[in-house]
This record gives sequence, C-alpha cells and structure tokens, in this order.
Amino acid sequence: MSAPGWAARLPLARRRAERRRRRGFDRPRFLLAFFLLFVVWTFAPLLVVALFSFNSTPSLQNFEGFSLQWYDEFFSSVTLRESLVASIEIGFVTMIVGTVLGTTLAFALVRARSRVAQASNVLMLIPLVTPEIVAGVSALVLFTQIGMDLSLLTIMIAEITFSISFVTVIVRARLATMNREVEEAALDLGATRIQTVRLVVLPALWPAIIASALLIFALSFDDFVIAFFTTGESPTPLPVQIYSSIRFGVRPTINAIGTLMLVISFLIVALAVALPRLLGRRGEQNVLIGGEAG
Amino acid sequence: MLAPAGVWLLLLFAVPMGIVVLVSLGRTDPIFEAVYGWHPGNYADVFDPLFAPVLLRSVTYALATVALCLLIGYPIAYYIARFGGRWKTLLIAAVVLPFLVNYLVRTYAWVAILSDEGLANGILQDVGLAENGVRFINTSWAVIGGLVYGYLAFMILPLYAALDRMDPALIEAGKDLYGNRWQTFWHVTWPAAFQGVVAGCVLVFLPAVGDFISAQLLGGPDTYMVGNLIQQQFLEAQNWPFGAALTIVMMGFLLIWMLLYVRSATRASREASA
Repeated sequence: MSAPGWAARLPLARRRAERRRRRGFDRPRFLLAFFLLFVVWTFAPLLVVALFSFNSTPSLQNFEGFSLQWYDEFFSSVTLRESLVASIEIGFVTMIVGTVLGTTLAFALVRARSRVAQASNVLMLIPLVTPEIVAGVSALVLFTQIGMDLSLLTIMIAEITFSISFVTVIVRARLATMNREVEEAALDLGATRIQTVRLVVLPALWPAIIASALLIFALSFDDFVIAFFTTGESPTPLPVQIYSSIRFGVRPTINAIGTLMLVISFLIVALAVALPRLLGRRGEQNVLIGGEAG
Repeated sequence: MLAPAGVWLLLLFAVPMGIVVLVSLGRTDPIFEAVYGWHPGNYADVFDPLFAPVLLRSVTYALATVALCLLIGYPIAYYIARFGGRWKTLLIAAVVLPFLVNYLVRTYAWVAILSDEGLANGILQDVGLAENGVRFINTSWAVIGGLVYGYLAFMILPLYAALDRMDPALIEAGKDLYGNRWQTFWHVTWPAAFQGVVAGCVLVFLPAVGDFISAQLLGGPDTYMVGNLIQQQFLEAQNWPFGAALTIVMMGFLLIWMLLYVRSATRASREASA
C-alpha cells in the first residue's frame, strides 16, 4: 500500500542527498583538519630523529650543521656491524623456515574440518594475540630447562615459532578465495596431486607467500622483546643493541641507527607491496589489510 | 601437511607455556636457580600490596590507551573510508607507514623530543615559556602517550576494514528518514563499525597490558607496568618462579580477550571458505 509512495519519494531523497553533498555538508572540515594533525603527529617524531642523525653536534635541541659522523661511528663499530649482520641472519632464517611451515599449515587447515585440525587452528591463532613478553618468557624458560645455550639459534627458533601464524593466516585467506573447481579440473585432466599443486595452486599463491615471507622477515629483523629474552652474549641483534644504548641516555648514534632501521623497514614494505603485484597479475591483494582478502 | 608446523607449535609454544606454569609453582635455591616444587605462595605474592598497584596500573594504562586509540582512530578510519575516494589505499598506507618503523625507534623518538634536554624543552626555553623546562618524561601521560603512539595502527586497520565495507547510502538513508546526526551514527554507522571496534580494542589492549618498553623509556619506577616487573624478575632479580607467576596471572587475565579474538577470527575464516 505504501510502496508506491516510497517509490515516488526516492528520487526526491536522492536529490536532497546530492544537494547536501555539493554543499559539503557530509564533508566536515574538522575531519580533514584532524586527519592532517594526525599525520603530522605520527611523522614528526621520526623526521626529528632522521634530521638530528645528520647533526654535527650531539645536541638534540639545535641543528648546527650537516655531518655524517654518527653514521661513520655506526659503521666503524665492530659490535654494531656484527649486530646488524646478526639481525639480518635472524630475519633470513626465520623467513625461510617460517614461510615453509606456515604455508604447509595453511594447506592443512584451509578445508580441514577434523577435530585435530580445529585444535591446530586455535593453537595457530593464539600466538598472534599473545603479548610478546609472554612469548619471550616462555622461550627463555624452555631453552634453559632443556639446557640449550642462548645464542642466535635460540632467537631464530623463538622468532620462527611466532611467525608461523602470520604466514598461515595470509596464505590461507588467499587459498580460501581460490576456486576449487580449477584444482578438480586439473586432477580430472590426469594431473597428479603434486603436479596440481605445483602447476595450478602455487602459481596463484605466490603473491600471498612472498608477501607473508617479507612480512615475517621485517617482523623478526625488527623484533626486540623476544630477542631480548632469548639472546646470548654476543653478537646481540640490533634492536637489543639499540635498547642497551638508549638506557645509557639519548645518544646521537642512536639517531643514525634509528634512521637506518627506518629506511630498511620502508624498503621491505615497499618490496612486500610491489613484488606480489609484479608477480601475480590477477592475485593482487593488499598485504597491509589482510582481512580484506575476500 | 598438518604435522610439521603443528608439532612445531605444540613443542615450542604449548609445551613451554606448561613449563612456565611449573616454574611458577617452584622456588629459587640459594644460587638463584629455579627448582620445581609446590609453592602456590608465589601467586599470593603477586597480589601483595607491594605489587598489586603495578597490576592495577597496567590495566588502567592499557584501558586508557584503548580509549584514546578509539577516540583518535575512529575519525581517521571514518575519514578515509568515507571520503578517501580513489586515494583510499594511498591514505591508509600513509597512516600505517610510521607504524612499520621499529617500536623501539619510535619510542626513542619521543624520548629525544620529551626528555629534559630534548627538543620540546629546547623550544619552550627558546620561546621563553618555561625558563626551567618542563618535566614531560617519567609521567603517566608520557607512558600512555607512548603506548598510543605504538599501537594505534592496530585500532585503525580493523576499524577501517569495517567502515569501508559499509554502504555509504545507508547513512544517507538514515538522514533521509529524518534521523539527526547522532541518531544516524547510533543506529547506522556504529552497528556497522562494531565488529571493527571490538577487534581494534582487543588488538590494542593485549599488547598494551604486556608492554614494558614505553614505561622503561618514557617512564620511571613510579610508572612501571607488569611487563617491567616480569622483565626484572627474569633478567635482573633472577626470581624466575615469581616472574613466572606474574606471567601466568597476566595470561589468565588476558585469556578471555584472546579467546574473544580467536572466536571471531575462526568465524571469519569459516565464512571466507564457505
């Protein structure tokens, strides 16, 4: 009864909305101002660190002139150089092992409905929300109780444990959106299971695998808390090294290390966004918003 | 396929948690080695008047952090989701970019700005606003500010994902039906954003409760959180059983939140593969 009345009013409503939009009613200016303030607030501290890393004096208050001495200090310190190498090693090993383990788990979980699979699913998700300090404590306790000396190896094992889940979540999201019939078609056409995975599934999956590999490289390269609890005497990873120098007070060399780490983080993320797009023409998906994979 | 990673997580994640429980019931021998035993008193110590305020402070700081992240993050996520247009991806990348920098480095940046010899005090003195400088560091607000600056991205991303899925026509419909701004927000936008709000709050709250970097670098003994206490017990005081008891109490407190997240994540992945 009232349906025709609604239909008649609709165009009017739309016109009114259109007018409102043109007047800028829906585009409150304070939101834009807030957004700009927010961007300044998030970027300014990092720019301050980067700027003062080129300061010619140790002052944090006055920029007196351009100099590279703090970078020079960084690269001429054997300890710091070893720390950088250690962090890269941790990132690299974690990336390889974590990606392989996480991807196999994603395959196992994507369509499995068994009890064991469901339990593994919960076991896989919990590390994602476990506070890092708990992860560090439990790793430290485990290694000492089984009598393993703390070293780069213990850091790697702990980092791998907490990186598997990231890979599984990202790769599984991609697997879940894939059309199952394509796989079945390959099997019907006489491909073996391994051939199907190698020729049909993996090519479509590469973007997700590479994105998650770079993500866990970045996470484990950058990680402080877990490394702090599981590190041996020397070499210690770069974040641990940074932490101990910050505790001795603000020092200009930290500005230089911070700026270097900032650049490395940005590079890895740029790679994580660019590589999958170059490789997978259709399987584009934003790494940063993994939840949007659907 | 399940075996390699499943066994890895079982042996290196689940089992160590069990060992932490065992250690939390032990005690230390004269040379500070942890010995297993049955000493539930460690748990009573956690709630000792000496340490209870630290636990309370951790929860208060974390809740304040969640509230501030929501207050700041919601308008940002809403602005990008509704008015970002074709720049959406670029804007969200710009918002997330600073959060990809090492957390220590980001916290250090605030130390460099807020410390007594830092940039903020330099500017204040130059301008003549505060001759003797202002104490920014070692305050609760510095620690909470550090936490907000550290974890805000965990709020913005789920909020953005939820708001971006919402059909903007719904808001117009709400207004066309003579809802005022508040009513439109409450009956249309908020329900659509709700899942994102819950996810964001959990994802900020969990790491904030366990954080010790912000309180270590931007605070002092008066602002220490449970993370600082745990870290001290394990790496300085060498009282592992007490540190383990603190860890277990914290985990027990956080478990409800963690299960909340696991349940929603399981449901989401089931919907995706269905």
